[in-house]
Amino acid sequence: MAKIIVVTSGKGGVGKTTSAAAIATGLALRGNKTVVIDFDVGLRNLDLIMGCERRVVYDLVNVIQGEAGLKQAMIRDKRSENLHILPASQTRDKDALTLEGVEKVLMDLSEEFDYIICDSPAGIERGAQLALYFADEAVVVTNPEVSSVRDSDRILGLLSSKSRRAEQNRDPIKEHLLVTRYNPNRVNDGDMLNLDDIREILAIDLVGLIPESEAVLRASNQGVPVIHDDKSDAGQAYADTVSRLMGEDVPLRFQSVQKRGLIARMFGGGGRR
Amino acid sequence: MSLNRDRADTAFTFKGGMLPMTVMELASADPERIRAQLAGKVSQAPAFFQHTPVVLSVEQIDEPHLALERICAVCRAHKLLPVAVRGGSDPVKQSAWALGLGWFPPQESRPRAVETRPVESGLVEASIEADLPVPPTEVAVQAGGRIHRGTVRSGQQISASEGDLVVIGAVNPGAEVLAAGSVHVYGPLRGRALAGIHGDREAGIFCHDLNAELLSVAGTYKRLEDIDPKMLGCSVQVGLKEDQLRISALT
Repeated sequence: MAKIIVVTSGKGGVGKTTSAAAIATGLALRGNKTVVIDFDVGLRNLDLIMGCERRVVYDLVNVIQGEAGLKQAMIRDKRSENLHILPASQTRDKDALTLEGVEKVLMDLSEEFDYIICDSPAGIERGAQLALYFADEAVVVTNPEVSSVRDSDRILGLLSSKSRRAEQNRDPIKEHLLVTRYNPNRVNDGDMLNLDDIREILAIDLVGLIPESEAVLRASNQGVPVIHDDKSDAGQAYADTVSRLMGEDVPLRFQSVQKRGLIARMFGGGGRR
Repeated sequence: MSLNRDRADTAFTFKGGMLPMTVMELASADPERIRAQLAGKVSQAPAFFQHTPVVLSVEQIDEPHLALERICAVCRAHKLLPVAVRGGSDPVKQSAWALGLGWFPPQESRPRAVETRPVESGLVEASIEADLPVPPTEVAVQAGGRIHRGTVRSGQQISASEGDLVVIGAVNPGAEVLAAGSVHVYGPLRGRALAGIHGDREAGIFCHDLNAELLSVAGTYKRLEDIDPKMLGCSVQVGLKEDQLRISALT
Protein backbone atom coordinates (compact mmCIF):
# COMPACT_ATOMS: atom_id res chain seq x y z
CA MET A 1 0.00 0.00 0.00
CA ALA A 2 1.31 3.38 -0.97
CA LYS A 3 1.52 6.25 1.43
CA ILE A 4 -0.59 9.15 0.14
CA ILE A 5 0.88 12.58 0.89
CA VAL A 6 -0.96 15.77 -0.04
CA VAL A 7 1.00 18.97 -0.52
CA THR A 8 -1.36 21.78 0.31
CA SER A 9 -1.47 25.33 1.67
CA GLY A 10 -4.75 27.16 1.17
CA LYS A 11 -2.98 30.23 -0.16
CA GLY A 12 -1.67 30.30 -3.70
CA GLY A 13 1.86 31.06 -4.78
CA VAL A 14 3.57 29.78 -1.66
CA GLY A 15 5.42 26.95 -3.37
CA LYS A 16 3.09 23.95 -3.36
CA THR A 17 3.97 22.69 -6.82
CA THR A 18 7.70 23.39 -6.38
CA SER A 19 7.58 21.48 -3.11
CA ALA A 20 5.51 18.61 -4.50
CA ALA A 21 7.93 18.23 -7.41
CA ALA A 22 10.99 18.40 -5.15
CA ILE A 23 9.60 15.99 -2.57
CA ALA A 24 8.42 13.48 -5.18
CA THR A 25 11.79 13.63 -6.93
CA GLY A 26 13.66 13.29 -3.64
CA LEU A 27 11.65 10.24 -2.63
CA ALA A 28 12.23 8.66 -6.04
CA LEU A 29 15.96 9.37 -5.94
CA ARG A 30 16.10 7.34 -2.72
CA GLY A 31 14.64 4.33 -4.43
CA ASN A 32 10.95 4.75 -3.63
CA LYS A 33 8.50 4.15 -6.43
CA THR A 34 6.73 7.49 -6.50
CA VAL A 35 3.96 9.11 -8.51
CA VAL A 36 3.08 12.78 -8.28
CA ILE A 37 -0.43 13.84 -9.30
CA ASP A 38 -1.43 17.36 -10.31
CA PHE A 39 -4.89 18.13 -8.89
CA ASP A 40 -4.92 21.68 -10.19
CA VAL A 41 -7.33 21.08 -13.04
CA GLY A 42 -7.47 24.09 -15.32
CA LEU A 43 -4.20 25.59 -14.04
CA ARG A 44 -1.81 22.80 -14.87
CA ASN A 45 1.73 23.63 -13.70
CA LEU A 46 3.36 20.51 -12.35
CA ASP A 47 4.32 19.26 -15.81
CA LEU A 48 6.25 22.52 -16.40
CA ILE A 49 8.11 22.29 -13.11
CA MET A 50 8.90 18.65 -13.83
CA GLY A 51 9.97 19.51 -17.39
CA CYS A 52 7.62 17.05 -19.07
CA GLU A 53 5.06 19.42 -20.57
CA ARG A 54 5.83 18.31 -24.12
CA ARG A 55 5.10 14.72 -23.34
CA VAL A 56 1.58 15.13 -21.95
CA VAL A 57 -0.97 13.16 -23.97
CA TYR A 58 -3.66 12.15 -21.49
CA ASP A 59 -4.36 13.57 -18.05
CA LEU A 60 -6.05 12.84 -14.73
CA VAL A 61 -9.49 13.86 -16.01
CA ASN A 62 -9.17 11.51 -19.02
CA VAL A 63 -8.38 8.66 -16.63
CA ILE A 64 -11.26 9.46 -14.29
CA GLN A 65 -13.70 9.69 -17.17
CA GLY A 66 -12.48 6.42 -18.63
CA GLU A 67 -11.04 7.95 -21.80
CA ALA A 68 -7.55 6.68 -21.10
CA GLY A 69 -5.85 4.11 -18.90
CA LEU A 70 -3.53 5.02 -16.05
CA LYS A 71 -0.54 3.58 -17.89
CA GLN A 72 -1.26 5.77 -20.90
CA ALA A 73 -1.62 8.93 -18.85
CA MET A 74 1.38 8.54 -16.56
CA ILE A 75 4.61 10.10 -17.74
CA ARG A 76 7.90 8.58 -16.67
CA ASP A 77 10.42 11.12 -15.43
CA LYS A 78 13.49 11.58 -17.61
CA ARG A 79 15.90 11.67 -14.70
CA SER A 80 14.57 9.07 -12.32
CA GLU A 81 12.95 5.88 -13.43
CA ASN A 82 11.21 5.50 -10.07
CA LEU A 83 9.22 8.66 -10.65
CA HIS A 84 5.99 9.10 -12.59
CA ILE A 85 3.88 12.16 -13.19
CA LEU A 86 0.12 12.22 -13.65
CA PRO A 87 -0.70 15.64 -15.11
CA ALA A 88 -3.86 17.64 -14.67
CA SER A 89 -6.08 18.74 -17.51
CA GLN A 90 -5.62 22.28 -18.68
CA THR A 91 -8.89 22.51 -20.59
CA ARG A 92 -11.46 21.08 -18.21
CA ASP A 93 -12.68 22.60 -14.99
CA LYS A 94 -12.42 21.30 -11.46
CA ASP A 95 -15.90 19.76 -11.50
CA ALA A 96 -14.55 17.10 -13.83
CA LEU A 97 -13.04 15.40 -10.78
CA THR A 98 -15.28 13.07 -8.78
CA LEU A 99 -14.69 11.56 -5.39
CA GLU A 100 -15.24 8.03 -6.70
CA GLY A 101 -13.00 8.66 -9.68
CA VAL A 102 -10.17 9.99 -7.54
CA GLU A 103 -10.55 7.11 -5.14
CA LYS A 104 -10.31 4.56 -7.95
CA VAL A 105 -7.18 6.20 -9.38
CA LEU A 106 -5.52 6.32 -5.97
CA MET A 107 -6.43 2.70 -5.19
CA ASP A 108 -5.01 1.52 -8.52
CA LEU A 109 -1.81 3.52 -8.04
CA SER A 110 -1.56 2.34 -4.47
CA GLU A 111 -0.83 -1.22 -5.58
CA GLU A 112 2.15 -0.24 -7.66
CA PHE A 113 3.77 2.68 -5.86
CA ASP A 114 5.37 3.39 -2.47
CA TYR A 115 4.42 7.06 -2.39
CA ILE A 116 1.62 9.03 -4.02
CA ILE A 117 2.17 12.79 -3.84
CA CYS A 118 -0.95 14.90 -4.47
CA ASP A 119 -0.22 18.45 -5.56
CA SER A 120 -3.25 20.38 -4.35
CA PRO A 121 -4.66 23.49 -6.01
CA ALA A 122 -4.86 26.66 -3.94
CA GLY A 123 -8.06 27.48 -2.14
CA ILE A 124 -10.35 25.41 0.00
CA GLU A 125 -12.87 24.44 -2.64
CA ARG A 126 -13.63 21.13 -4.24
CA GLY A 127 -10.28 20.63 -5.98
CA ALA A 128 -8.33 21.18 -2.79
CA GLN A 129 -10.74 19.04 -0.76
CA LEU A 130 -10.49 16.16 -3.22
CA ALA A 131 -6.69 16.36 -3.16
CA LEU A 132 -6.59 16.02 0.61
CA TYR A 133 -9.55 13.68 1.16
CA PHE A 134 -7.69 10.38 0.84
CA ALA A 135 -4.37 11.52 2.31
CA ASP A 136 -2.43 9.68 4.99
CA GLU A 137 -0.03 12.56 5.52
CA ALA A 138 -0.09 16.23 4.64
CA VAL A 139 2.70 18.68 3.95
CA VAL A 140 1.33 22.15 4.68
CA VAL A 141 3.40 24.70 2.76
CA THR A 142 3.56 28.06 4.50
CA ASN A 143 5.37 31.32 3.80
CA PRO A 144 6.54 33.52 6.67
CA GLU A 145 3.68 35.97 6.32
CA VAL A 146 0.46 36.34 8.28
CA SER A 147 -1.96 35.66 5.42
CA SER A 148 -0.21 32.43 4.52
CA VAL A 149 -0.19 31.29 8.14
CA ARG A 150 -3.89 31.98 8.48
CA ASP A 151 -4.70 30.06 5.30
CA SER A 152 -2.56 27.15 6.44
CA ASP A 153 -4.45 27.17 9.71
CA ARG A 154 -7.69 26.95 7.74
CA ILE A 155 -6.40 24.01 5.72
CA LEU A 156 -5.32 22.25 8.91
CA GLY A 157 -8.91 22.57 10.08
CA LEU A 158 -10.11 20.91 6.89
CA LEU A 159 -7.51 18.15 7.19
CA SER A 160 -8.86 17.28 10.60
CA SER A 161 -12.53 17.38 9.61
CA LYS A 162 -13.07 16.89 5.88
CA SER A 163 -10.77 13.96 5.16
CA ARG A 164 -11.65 10.31 4.85
CA ARG A 165 -9.57 9.51 7.94
CA ALA A 166 -11.58 12.08 9.93
CA GLU A 167 -14.92 10.85 8.59
CA GLN A 168 -14.12 7.22 9.32
CA ASN A 169 -12.74 8.08 12.75
CA ARG A 170 -9.38 6.57 11.91
CA ASP A 171 -6.02 7.93 13.05
CA PRO A 172 -5.84 11.54 11.91
CA ILE A 173 -3.78 12.67 8.94
CA LYS A 174 -0.16 13.20 9.97
CA GLU A 175 0.44 16.90 9.43
CA HIS A 176 3.85 18.36 8.59
CA LEU A 177 4.76 22.02 8.37
CA LEU A 178 7.00 23.07 5.49
CA VAL A 179 8.09 26.70 5.66
CA THR A 180 9.23 28.03 2.29
CA ARG A 181 10.71 31.31 1.07
CA TYR A 182 12.32 31.88 4.44
CA ASN A 183 14.73 34.77 4.42
CA PRO A 184 16.63 35.10 7.73
CA ASN A 185 17.74 38.63 6.90
CA ARG A 186 14.18 39.83 6.46
CA VAL A 187 13.11 37.91 9.55
CA ASN A 188 15.76 39.80 11.52
CA ASP A 189 14.51 43.07 10.05
CA GLY A 190 10.98 42.22 11.17
CA ASP A 191 9.63 42.02 7.59
CA MET A 192 8.86 38.34 7.91
CA LEU A 193 7.41 36.19 10.64
CA ASN A 194 10.03 34.13 12.36
CA LEU A 195 9.90 30.38 12.47
CA ASP A 196 8.91 30.20 16.13
CA ASP A 197 5.88 32.44 15.58
CA ILE A 198 4.68 30.25 12.72
CA ARG A 199 5.18 27.07 14.71
CA GLU A 200 3.41 28.49 17.73
CA ILE A 201 0.27 29.35 15.78
CA LEU A 202 0.07 26.26 13.60
CA ALA A 203 1.22 23.86 16.35
CA ILE A 204 2.29 21.01 14.08
CA ASP A 205 5.66 19.32 13.51
CA LEU A 206 8.13 21.08 11.27
CA VAL A 207 9.33 18.89 8.42
CA GLY A 208 11.44 21.42 6.60
CA LEU A 209 12.62 24.99 6.18
CA ILE A 210 13.35 26.10 2.63
CA PRO A 211 15.29 29.37 2.34
CA GLU A 212 14.29 31.94 -0.23
CA SER A 213 16.63 31.14 -3.06
CA GLU A 214 17.34 32.14 -6.60
CA ALA A 215 17.84 28.48 -7.33
CA VAL A 216 14.08 27.88 -7.04
CA LEU A 217 13.11 30.25 -9.83
CA ARG A 218 15.94 29.01 -12.02
CA ALA A 219 14.94 25.39 -11.48
CA SER A 220 11.30 26.13 -12.13
CA ASN A 221 12.01 27.85 -15.43
CA GLN A 222 14.35 25.09 -16.51
CA GLY A 223 11.84 22.39 -15.64
CA VAL A 224 14.25 20.62 -13.32
CA PRO A 225 13.01 20.13 -9.74
CA VAL A 226 15.25 22.17 -7.47
CA ILE A 227 16.24 19.13 -5.42
CA HIS A 228 18.47 18.07 -8.35
CA ASP A 229 20.51 21.23 -7.73
CA ASP A 230 22.32 19.73 -4.77
CA LYS A 231 24.75 22.64 -4.52
CA SER A 232 21.96 25.12 -3.86
CA ASP A 233 20.64 25.91 -0.42
CA ALA A 234 17.04 25.21 -1.45
CA GLY A 235 18.00 21.89 -3.02
CA GLN A 236 19.76 20.80 0.15
CA ALA A 237 16.89 21.99 2.31
CA TYR A 238 14.45 19.88 0.23
CA ALA A 239 16.77 16.89 0.53
CA ASP A 240 16.67 17.33 4.32
CA THR A 241 12.87 17.57 4.13
CA VAL A 242 12.65 14.28 2.24
CA SER A 243 14.90 12.63 4.83
CA ARG A 244 12.59 13.79 7.61
CA LEU A 245 9.51 12.58 5.72
CA MET A 246 11.18 9.18 5.53
CA GLY A 247 11.64 9.26 9.29
CA GLU A 248 15.27 10.31 9.59
CA ASP A 249 16.37 12.82 12.19
CA VAL A 250 18.18 15.62 10.38
CA PRO A 251 19.26 18.90 12.03
CA LEU A 252 17.58 22.09 10.81
CA ARG A 253 19.68 24.27 8.51
CA PHE A 254 19.31 27.68 6.88
CA GLN A 255 17.43 29.14 9.82
CA SER A 256 19.90 31.90 10.59
CA VAL A 257 21.79 34.30 8.40
CA GLN A 258 24.57 32.52 6.51
CA LYS A 259 27.94 34.17 6.90
CA ARG A 260 29.30 34.73 3.44
CA GLY A 261 33.02 34.75 2.81
CA LEU A 262 34.92 37.72 1.47
CA ILE A 263 35.20 36.28 -2.03
CA ALA A 264 31.50 35.45 -2.19
CA ARG A 265 30.64 38.95 -1.09
CA MET A 266 32.96 40.50 -3.67
CA PHE A 267 31.71 38.44 -6.56
CA GLY A 268 28.06 38.11 -5.65
CA GLY A 269 27.36 34.41 -5.91
CA GLY A 270 23.95 33.50 -7.18
CA GLY A 271 22.29 31.69 -4.35
CA ARG A 272 24.81 28.88 -4.43
CA ARG A 273 26.40 29.05 -1.07
CA MET B 1 -52.10 42.86 33.53
CA SER B 2 -49.99 45.67 34.83
CA LEU B 3 -46.24 45.37 34.67
CA ASN B 4 -45.92 47.02 38.05
CA ARG B 5 -48.22 44.66 39.77
CA ASP B 6 -47.34 44.18 43.40
CA ARG B 7 -45.29 41.09 44.04
CA ALA B 8 -47.25 40.26 47.18
CA ASP B 9 -50.31 39.58 45.01
CA THR B 10 -48.82 36.58 43.34
CA ALA B 11 -49.30 33.23 44.98
CA PHE B 12 -46.38 31.71 43.07
CA THR B 13 -43.91 32.27 40.33
CA PHE B 14 -42.70 29.72 37.82
CA LYS B 15 -38.98 29.29 37.67
CA GLY B 16 -36.82 27.09 35.56
CA GLY B 17 -34.61 24.82 37.57
CA MET B 18 -32.26 21.94 37.05
CA LEU B 19 -32.12 19.35 39.76
CA PRO B 20 -29.92 16.31 39.86
CA MET B 21 -32.04 13.21 39.41
CA THR B 22 -31.29 9.56 39.67
CA VAL B 23 -32.32 7.74 36.56
CA MET B 24 -33.18 4.10 36.98
CA GLU B 25 -32.43 2.60 33.64
CA LEU B 26 -34.52 -0.54 33.27
CA ALA B 27 -33.19 -3.37 31.17
CA SER B 28 -36.00 -5.66 32.26
CA ALA B 29 -39.68 -4.95 32.86
CA ASP B 30 -40.07 -7.96 35.15
CA PRO B 31 -41.03 -6.61 38.61
CA GLU B 32 -39.68 -9.73 40.33
CA ARG B 33 -36.22 -9.34 38.81
CA ILE B 34 -36.22 -5.68 39.81
CA ARG B 35 -37.30 -6.61 43.32
CA ALA B 36 -34.50 -9.15 43.63
CA GLN B 37 -31.83 -6.71 42.54
CA LEU B 38 -33.21 -3.88 44.68
CA ALA B 39 -33.14 -6.05 47.76
CA GLY B 40 -29.44 -6.64 47.20
CA LYS B 41 -28.79 -2.94 46.69
CA VAL B 42 -30.58 -1.91 49.87
CA SER B 43 -28.28 -4.05 51.97
CA GLN B 44 -25.23 -2.57 50.19
CA ALA B 45 -26.17 1.08 50.50
CA PRO B 46 -29.07 1.70 52.84
CA ALA B 47 -28.37 5.46 52.86
CA PHE B 48 -29.32 5.68 49.22
CA PHE B 49 -32.85 4.40 49.74
CA GLN B 50 -34.39 7.31 51.68
CA HIS B 51 -37.44 8.14 49.55
CA THR B 52 -35.04 9.06 46.78
CA PRO B 53 -36.89 10.41 43.76
CA VAL B 54 -36.09 8.44 40.62
CA VAL B 55 -36.95 8.68 36.95
CA LEU B 56 -37.74 5.29 35.45
CA SER B 57 -36.10 5.08 32.09
CA VAL B 58 -37.73 2.43 29.90
CA GLU B 59 -35.98 3.35 26.68
CA GLN B 60 -34.20 0.03 26.44
CA ILE B 61 -37.39 -1.96 26.76
CA ASP B 62 -39.09 -2.67 23.50
CA GLU B 63 -42.54 -3.65 24.75
CA PRO B 64 -45.69 -1.61 24.14
CA HIS B 65 -47.22 -2.40 27.56
CA LEU B 66 -45.42 -2.48 30.88
CA ALA B 67 -46.49 -3.46 34.35
CA LEU B 68 -45.73 0.10 35.40
CA GLU B 69 -47.93 0.01 38.48
CA ARG B 70 -46.21 -3.09 39.87
CA ILE B 71 -42.76 -1.71 39.08
CA CYS B 72 -43.64 1.47 40.98
CA ALA B 73 -44.93 -0.54 43.89
CA VAL B 74 -41.67 -2.50 44.05
CA CYS B 75 -39.71 0.73 44.02
CA ARG B 76 -41.80 2.31 46.77
CA ALA B 77 -41.43 -0.81 48.86
CA HIS B 78 -37.69 -0.17 48.73
CA LYS B 79 -38.04 3.52 49.53
CA LEU B 80 -37.50 4.79 46.02
CA LEU B 81 -40.04 7.36 44.82
CA PRO B 82 -40.72 7.13 41.10
CA VAL B 83 -41.58 10.65 39.94
CA ALA B 84 -41.54 10.24 36.20
CA VAL B 85 -41.02 7.87 33.32
CA ARG B 86 -38.69 8.50 30.44
CA GLY B 87 -39.24 6.98 27.01
CA GLY B 88 -41.48 4.09 26.04
CA SER B 89 -44.52 3.70 23.83
CA ASP B 90 -47.69 5.76 23.84
CA PRO B 91 -49.58 3.34 26.16
CA VAL B 92 -46.65 3.59 28.58
CA LYS B 93 -46.97 7.36 28.51
CA GLN B 94 -50.73 7.14 29.16
CA SER B 95 -50.34 4.77 32.07
CA ALA B 96 -47.58 6.95 33.57
CA TRP B 97 -49.98 9.89 33.55
CA ALA B 98 -52.74 7.69 34.98
CA LEU B 99 -50.41 6.81 37.85
CA GLY B 100 -49.73 10.50 38.50
CA LEU B 101 -46.19 10.31 37.10
CA GLY B 102 -44.58 12.71 34.69
CA TRP B 103 -43.35 11.61 31.30
CA PHE B 104 -40.16 12.65 29.52
CA PRO B 105 -39.36 11.99 25.90
CA PRO B 106 -36.48 9.58 25.32
CA GLN B 107 -33.01 11.04 25.53
CA GLU B 108 -31.43 11.44 22.15
CA SER B 109 -27.81 10.71 22.80
CA ARG B 110 -26.29 9.22 25.88
CA PRO B 111 -22.62 8.56 25.25
CA ARG B 112 -21.85 8.24 28.96
CA ALA B 113 -24.44 5.63 29.76
CA VAL B 114 -22.68 3.04 27.64
CA GLU B 115 -19.69 3.06 29.94
CA THR B 116 -21.59 2.60 33.16
CA ARG B 117 -24.08 -0.02 32.09
CA PRO B 118 -23.12 -3.60 32.80
CA VAL B 119 -24.70 -5.71 30.11
CA GLU B 120 -25.84 -8.68 32.10
CA SER B 121 -27.58 -7.04 35.06
CA GLY B 122 -31.23 -6.11 35.07
CA LEU B 123 -30.76 -2.63 36.50
CA VAL B 124 -28.22 -0.04 35.77
CA GLU B 125 -25.41 -0.51 38.23
CA ALA B 126 -25.03 2.82 39.90
CA SER B 127 -21.75 1.85 41.53
CA ILE B 128 -22.89 2.72 45.02
CA GLU B 129 -20.30 2.54 47.72
CA ALA B 130 -21.75 1.45 51.02
CA ASP B 131 -19.97 4.27 52.85
CA LEU B 132 -20.95 6.94 50.35
CA PRO B 133 -24.07 8.77 51.46
CA VAL B 134 -24.57 10.78 48.26
CA PRO B 135 -25.56 8.56 45.35
CA PRO B 136 -23.95 9.15 42.01
CA THR B 137 -26.53 10.93 39.96
CA GLU B 138 -27.13 11.69 36.36
CA VAL B 139 -28.44 15.17 35.71
CA ALA B 140 -31.90 14.58 34.33
CA VAL B 141 -31.95 17.79 32.37
CA GLN B 142 -28.59 18.08 30.67
CA ALA B 143 -26.83 21.24 31.77
CA GLY B 144 -25.20 21.46 28.34
CA GLY B 145 -21.72 22.80 28.11
CA ARG B 146 -18.89 21.48 26.07
CA ILE B 147 -15.20 20.75 26.31
CA HIS B 148 -13.08 21.04 23.20
CA ARG B 149 -9.55 19.67 23.24
CA GLY B 150 -7.06 20.92 20.69
CA THR B 151 -6.43 23.99 18.62
CA VAL B 152 -9.46 25.78 17.18
CA ARG B 153 -8.26 26.77 13.73
CA SER B 154 -9.09 29.59 11.35
CA GLY B 155 -12.55 29.08 9.88
CA GLN B 156 -13.67 26.73 12.62
CA GLN B 157 -16.51 27.60 14.92
CA ILE B 158 -17.00 25.82 18.21
CA SER B 159 -20.15 26.60 20.11
CA ALA B 160 -21.99 25.51 23.22
CA SER B 161 -25.65 26.39 22.77
CA GLU B 162 -26.22 25.63 26.44
CA GLY B 163 -23.83 26.13 29.30
CA ASP B 164 -20.13 26.93 29.18
CA LEU B 165 -17.54 26.22 26.55
CA VAL B 166 -14.10 25.10 27.66
CA VAL B 167 -11.32 25.07 25.09
CA ILE B 168 -8.15 23.26 26.08
CA GLY B 169 -5.82 24.64 23.46
CA ALA B 170 -5.40 27.76 21.37
CA VAL B 171 -8.09 29.68 19.52
CA ASN B 172 -6.34 30.91 16.38
CA PRO B 173 -7.02 34.06 14.34
CA GLY B 174 -10.12 33.60 12.19
CA ALA B 175 -11.64 31.03 14.57
CA GLU B 176 -14.75 31.67 16.62
CA VAL B 177 -15.80 30.24 19.97
CA LEU B 178 -19.30 30.85 21.34
CA ALA B 179 -21.26 29.83 24.39
CA ALA B 180 -24.62 30.49 25.99
CA GLY B 181 -22.68 30.64 29.23
CA SER B 182 -19.04 31.52 29.74
CA VAL B 183 -16.09 30.83 27.47
CA HIS B 184 -12.92 29.45 29.03
CA VAL B 185 -9.79 29.17 26.93
CA TYR B 186 -6.81 27.38 28.43
CA GLY B 187 -4.39 28.66 25.83
CA PRO B 188 -3.85 31.77 23.73
CA LEU B 189 -7.07 33.45 22.55
CA ARG B 190 -6.34 34.96 19.15
CA GLY B 191 -9.75 34.57 17.47
CA ARG B 192 -13.23 35.74 18.35
CA ALA B 193 -14.87 34.79 21.63
CA LEU B 194 -18.55 35.37 22.36
CA ALA B 195 -20.08 34.53 25.73
CA GLY B 196 -23.72 34.81 26.76
CA ILE B 197 -24.95 34.49 23.19
CA HIS B 198 -28.55 34.11 24.38
CA GLY B 199 -28.26 37.20 26.52
CA ASP B 200 -26.79 35.89 29.75
CA ARG B 201 -25.21 39.01 31.21
CA GLU B 202 -23.52 37.08 33.99
CA ALA B 203 -21.40 35.13 31.52
CA GLY B 204 -17.72 35.85 31.13
CA ILE B 205 -14.67 35.07 29.06
CA PHE B 206 -11.55 33.68 30.67
CA CYS B 207 -8.31 33.08 28.85
CA HIS B 208 -4.55 32.89 28.97
CA ASP B 209 -2.69 35.19 26.60
CA LEU B 210 -5.34 37.61 25.39
CA ASN B 211 -5.00 38.53 21.72
CA ALA B 212 -8.63 38.19 20.73
CA GLU B 213 -9.96 39.68 17.51
CA LEU B 214 -13.26 40.24 19.24
CA LEU B 215 -14.64 39.81 22.74
CA SER B 216 -18.37 39.83 23.37
CA VAL B 217 -20.56 39.22 26.39
CA ALA B 218 -24.33 39.24 25.84
CA GLY B 219 -23.94 41.33 22.70
CA THR B 220 -21.65 43.98 24.15
CA TYR B 221 -18.37 43.72 22.35
CA LYS B 222 -14.84 45.03 22.04
CA ARG B 223 -12.61 44.69 19.02
CA LEU B 224 -8.90 44.07 19.26
CA GLU B 225 -8.35 47.79 18.61
CA ASP B 226 -10.50 48.71 21.58
CA ILE B 227 -8.67 46.49 24.02
CA ASP B 228 -6.20 48.21 26.31
CA PRO B 229 -2.78 47.18 24.91
CA LYS B 230 -1.57 46.62 28.45
CA MET B 231 -3.93 43.65 28.70
CA LEU B 232 -2.69 41.96 25.53
CA GLY B 233 -0.76 38.81 26.22
CA CYS B 234 -2.10 38.60 29.77
CA SER B 235 -4.33 36.07 31.49
CA VAL B 236 -7.61 37.89 31.85
CA GLN B 237 -11.27 37.66 32.74
CA VAL B 238 -13.87 39.58 30.79
CA GLY B 239 -17.33 40.40 32.09
CA LEU B 240 -20.12 42.96 31.88
CA LYS B 241 -20.15 45.73 34.42
CA GLU B 242 -22.64 48.58 34.07
CA ASP B 243 -23.18 47.76 30.39
CA GLN B 244 -19.47 47.99 29.72
CA LEU B 245 -17.15 45.16 28.93
CA ARG B 246 -14.63 45.04 31.73
CA ILE B 247 -11.30 43.29 31.17
CA SER B 248 -9.25 42.57 34.23
CA ALA B 249 -6.16 40.52 34.90
CA LEU B 250 -6.55 37.11 36.44
CA THR B 251 -4.30 37.04 39.41
